Amino acid sequence: MQAKLEADFTLDLRGESCPYPVIYTLETLEGMNKGELLQVITDCPGSFRNVPEEAIAHGYKFAQDPVKNGQEYVFHIYA
Amino acid sequence: MKSSIQFIFQRYWNPYLVLVMAGILSALYFGLTSTVWAVTGEFTRLGGDILLLFGVDISDWQYFDMVHLQGTTWNRPDGWIVWGMFAGALIMVLLSNSFKIRLPQQKRRYVQGLIGGIIAGFGARLALGCNLAAFFTGVPQFSFHSWIFIVATGIGTFFGAKLTKTRWWKGKPSLIRGNTQPTQLKKRIIQPYVGGVIAALYIGLIIYFFVSGQKLLGLGALFGLAFGILIERGQICFTSAFRDLFLVGRSIMAKAIIIGMAVSSILTIIVISIYDLTPITQIAALSTFVGGALFGLGIVMASGCETGMMYRLMEGQILFLPVFVGNIIGATFLAYAWDHLGVYNVLVKSGTKINLLDTLGPIGAISITLLMLGGLYALTVFGEKRYQRKLAIKRGMSIHAS
Repeated sequence: MQAKLEADFTLDLRGESCPYPVIYTLETLEGMNKGELLQVITDCPGSFRNVPEEAIAHGYKFAQDPVKNGQEYVFHIYA
Repeated sequence: MKSSIQFIFQRYWNPYLVLVMAGILSALYFGLTSTVWAVTGEFTRLGGDILLLFGVDISDWQYFDMVHLQGTTWNRPDGWIVWGMFAGALIMVLLSNSFKIRLPQQKRRYVQGLIGGIIAGFGARLALGCNLAAFFTGVPQFSFHSWIFIVATGIGTFFGAKLTKTRWWKGKPSLIRGNTQPTQLKKRIIQPYVGGVIAALYIGLIIYFFVSGQKLLGLGALFGLAFGILIERGQICFTSAFRDLFLVGRSIMAKAIIIGMAVSSILTIIVISIYDLTPITQIAALSTFVGGALFGLGIVMASGCETGMMYRLMEGQILFLPVFVGNIIGATFLAYAWDHLGVYNVLVKSGTKINLLDTLGPIGAISITLLMLGGLYALTVFGEKRYQRKLAIKRGMSIHAS
């Protein structure tokens, strides 16, 4: 297991289909203070690829590599 | 060995590779059967089957004559393309242990999916094909209607993307302060075994088709399986190809689709000239434009097109059940509206079948097709760059403000 990261906020997007995981993630990050940590949990398989790609394309940094948790993914992204 | 298994099942495949393979397979399928990879025609026939089941007299519906509603879905090669795609996607989802029932948190998604599915199904059949027959496999047939369809779908998707961004449409996510625990992992893994059993049964069925002399059904089932495997493993989403360009400047899917079509076009013209086949041409008319625009809008509302819906449903995304039902309702309603509500007379009658091979000859047709695809590629890159430029300005301003 990965080292426990203390997230400031968590977006629970389980059940949401694309494109909403990407839209919600980017909007939430935009609304947070710089340096705060967002945890995102998704289970739409499309989001396993497009959430990290889009977060990086929009200039955000990951605290660690995405973690695959069964049929879900967990992301930790700095605002 | 372990790493190759991991490569095949644990990771999604490169979209470029997948779409080039799909392009090659669809040209090959055309060479073998003289028909194209398509799905919505069969959706219309399924609608007809259901109407017949309820005792509705559809003998005078012209549209069902046109799409050759005969037999049942189990003895139509196009039917096996559809069921094969479902099977291929399901097998891959299970083998990669990624099936899970996924219920949308936002209840509005069900309504959006159903309405979007109806609009997309109606639009696709009005244009005589969805992103396959009027796009991915339509362009390589040099049918000019695909060109109109592409432009119209782009316009429809643009408005769909605008709608997606409105607050009342997208809803609010559940944002929690601090950490939340992810779902507890299950110890026993059974999905790959179930997937293996389904794969074995399905391959047995394909062999049965060939051995019993039902070659076309066998080919439909085999190619359907391959298409299903490809779209699931590549997460090929035609909806996102257009939509995400407008939404977040994401261009990879659009580029991969364009390259896949270019490869397919070159192979198809070779197949046509060697075997002297007649390309499949559909009517280019006002209906193609209206249908394409409705299709573009509908697929964004539904979060998935006719093909994307198929593998997502197999992943357990319940949202796509109303989308599937909507697709069939929309396609069937168009079949009704075609002659009963005057759609044919108003939107279709004045059109003609235009095939670039007939009007420009083989060299002209392939040159202008590749030129058009090159133009689309350039537009995609332009759209991506424009989004990034705007983003850079926006970020610059926020840094400046703080």
